[in-house]
Amino acid sequence: MSVLIRNNVHVAGEGAATMVFAHGFGCDQTMWRFLTPAFQGRFRTIIYDLVGSGGSTLAAYDRTRYASLHAHAEDLLEIIDECATGPVIFVGHSVSAMIGMLATIAAPKRFAAQVMIGPSPCYINDGDYVGGFSRGDIRELLDTMDDNFIAWSQQLAPAIMGAPNRPDLREELTTSFCRNDPEIARHFAGVTFLSDHRDDVPKSTVPALILQCTDDLIAPRTVGEWLHRHLPSSSLALIENVGHCPHMSAPSASSRAIDVFLAQTLR
Amino acid sequence: MNAPPPAADALYEHAACGLVATDADGLILHANGTLHAWLGMEAGALAGKVRFCDLMSVGARLFHHTRCAPLLQLEGTVYEVQLDLLAADARRIPVLVNIVRRRDGDTAIDHWAVFRSSQRHAYEHALLDARKVAEEALEASRAADLQLQALNLQLTAADRRKDEFLATLSHELRNPLAPMRSALDVLRLKHGNIGDERLLQAFDRQLRHLTRLVDDLMDVSRITQNRMQLRRTPVDLAPLVRSAVQDMAATMAAARHTLRLAVQDTPLVVDGDATRLAQVVINLLANAAKYTPDGGRIDVELACEDGHAELRVRDNGIGIPADALGAVFNLFAQLEPALDRARGGLGIGLALARGIVDLHGGEILVDSAGPGLGSEFTLRLPLVAGCAAREETVAPAALAAPLRVLVVDDSLDTAETMALALELFGCETRMAHTATAALELAAEFAPHVALLDIGLPDYNGYELARRLRALPAGLDTTLIAATGWGQDKDRTLALDAGFDHHLTKPIDVEQLRLLLR
Repeated sequence: MSVLIRNNVHVAGEGAATMVFAHGFGCDQTMWRFLTPAFQGRFRTIIYDLVGSGGSTLAAYDRTRYASLHAHAEDLLEIIDECATGPVIFVGHSVSAMIGMLATIAAPKRFAAQVMIGPSPCYINDGDYVGGFSRGDIRELLDTMDDNFIAWSQQLAPAIMGAPNRPDLREELTTSFCRNDPEIARHFAGVTFLSDHRDDVPKSTVPALILQCTDDLIAPRTVGEWLHRHLPSSSLALIENVGHCPHMSAPSASSRAIDVFLAQTLR
Repeated sequence: MNAPPPAADALYEHAACGLVATDADGLILHANGTLHAWLGMEAGALAGKVRFCDLMSVGARLFHHTRCAPLLQLEGTVYEVQLDLLAADARRIPVLVNIVRRRDGDTAIDHWAVFRSSQRHAYEHALLDARKVAEEALEASRAADLQLQALNLQLTAADRRKDEFLATLSHELRNPLAPMRSALDVLRLKHGNIGDERLLQAFDRQLRHLTRLVDDLMDVSRITQNRMQLRRTPVDLAPLVRSAVQDMAATMAAARHTLRLAVQDTPLVVDGDATRLAQVVINLLANAAKYTPDGGRIDVELACEDGHAELRVRDNGIGIPADALGAVFNLFAQLEPALDRARGGLGIGLALARGIVDLHGGEILVDSAGPGLGSEFTLRLPLVAGCAAREETVAPAALAAPLRVLVVDDSLDTAETMALALELFGCETRMAHTATAALELAAEFAPHVALLDIGLPDYNGYELARRLRALPAGLDTTLIAATGWGQDKDRTLALDAGFDHHLTKPIDVEQLRLLLR
């Protein structure tokens, strides 16, 4: 199967280098819509859906293969082989930051830089390490996902429920964002939130920017700081933001921080 | 008449749902009295102080941040999300939430409507639990299916190994029978009229019996491996049955059985393999003789029944219990196997009979009124209309002319006994035990006939046949292949290699003598 179809890959913009954007758990590539315009004039940009999310080929989601993030990292390398030109800058949100990090360990020469937005190598508290959650919390998340089986699979068309106050999106109202298969999403939730890649962190030598929100429930500041200490070639930038998605709620601040990092790294 | 509309404030404050406004970061700007009451909080405890997310369980908070927040950004609405809120006293309150984001200039305000959904929540949980149970049952059934499939594969493999073992066993058993048969034939020809004739007869009978058992075993393994091929010609069953009855006469007499034969006068011609069909009839007769106490009565009837030849073999023997009737044609099936081995046998005869009859497109049935009440076997074969019975041509036994015969076999015993037998016919014989020796010998001996084993130590009999043919007098030599393998394909191989005839071990000297004419 074509990688482009499997991962619903979209390429835009032109430039000497390529930026690849990978979405986090719970959404799909549409979450990059506020950030990518800042780069499309200067870079070739690639956005795609993780297998099992959004418009990817759901049939390709083999639960055994995708039982770890390594499979997603292999997919990423395939996409880069297929579509990227020049040096590659990977931008990963949340779980995809870890997926990108695994890919940089597997093929360090393919990457010039990696940008991690709200990353966490391990969500569960373990001794001195504060990931932010207990196993019981993660179990509760999975239960909540079960409760929202219907809401998850069908984001009802906003037109039915009353026009949303977003004229800029009106043209796309017919399409649903982040429509994910509930069964796969639940499996992916387990893989994501039970993963522990702390041991892999020191192995990634590709220059990294950790973009950390000042107030993020999912990836608390302690996690960003832990990662900065253990990731060899990393810098940490804080974005004044409440929540887990600064690329959506604070896209300008995010793109500025990325530009500063790239200017230093890609001299 | 019309009551005045309630004041908007009252409508908001006492609405039948919780109403909340938050800023884009989730900080509560207003919350109505209904929500305060549900959560058990004082008025004013929420606005400006608490984020709505802080009222949620941790799992719900995770869900909100990973799922609802991006959707609010993208679509501006989130509908029908099930969450647990935590009341002041830590009670969980299942609620259904709708959120709409409204913009006022640069600032975004989120409006939340919160509905209690304890009953619905419980109901949905019951549904989810039922679903989980169903999935687990399905999973268990899948696992059981897989296990069954694996077992089935194992059984098939075991059955195949058994079939292969039987094929090899019968072939291996056949080999030592060859020299025994030749030795016995020699003894009888040499000392046929001296005092130990009874011993020789016993030896002969037992050897024939053993050979028949091995042949049956070989045939049944051919059938189970789908390797039996019929040589079909039009066969008149009447002479075939008469001949089989004659063959069994000695056995019947030994057990003092009375055998009555009733054969319809008209020809009953079927398209079949005469040898195989005779084998079936003999098996049925032998079976009747075996399972009938001495002095019994056996009735054999052959008649035409609606387009079929029907042979009935009825005895007044030990009979068969009703629950065993279904199994008598199964391979190795025997009644009372542990208690009474006196009658012997492998439990092959009837299985073989059914296999052969199946290949002929016929059927074989059994009936018995019960133990001690005798049995009746019915064989039905489709008749060939308008097909004349083949003329039976009986070859007159002719004496062999004095011939030079080369006997080649790596078994010294086999070669020796065969050579002795041939000498009794007046032949001049030479023996060789390897192909190389045979070729050398043939060059000087110039045999009229060469009897060749196929499995030779240096190179095989097919190759030897080709080389013999290449000798100056090679084209005049009659080449006879003698192998333990009696399939059509072995016969074809032999003829292709230049043999004139193919005999299956153990070699019947009478059969050999016919070829020496």
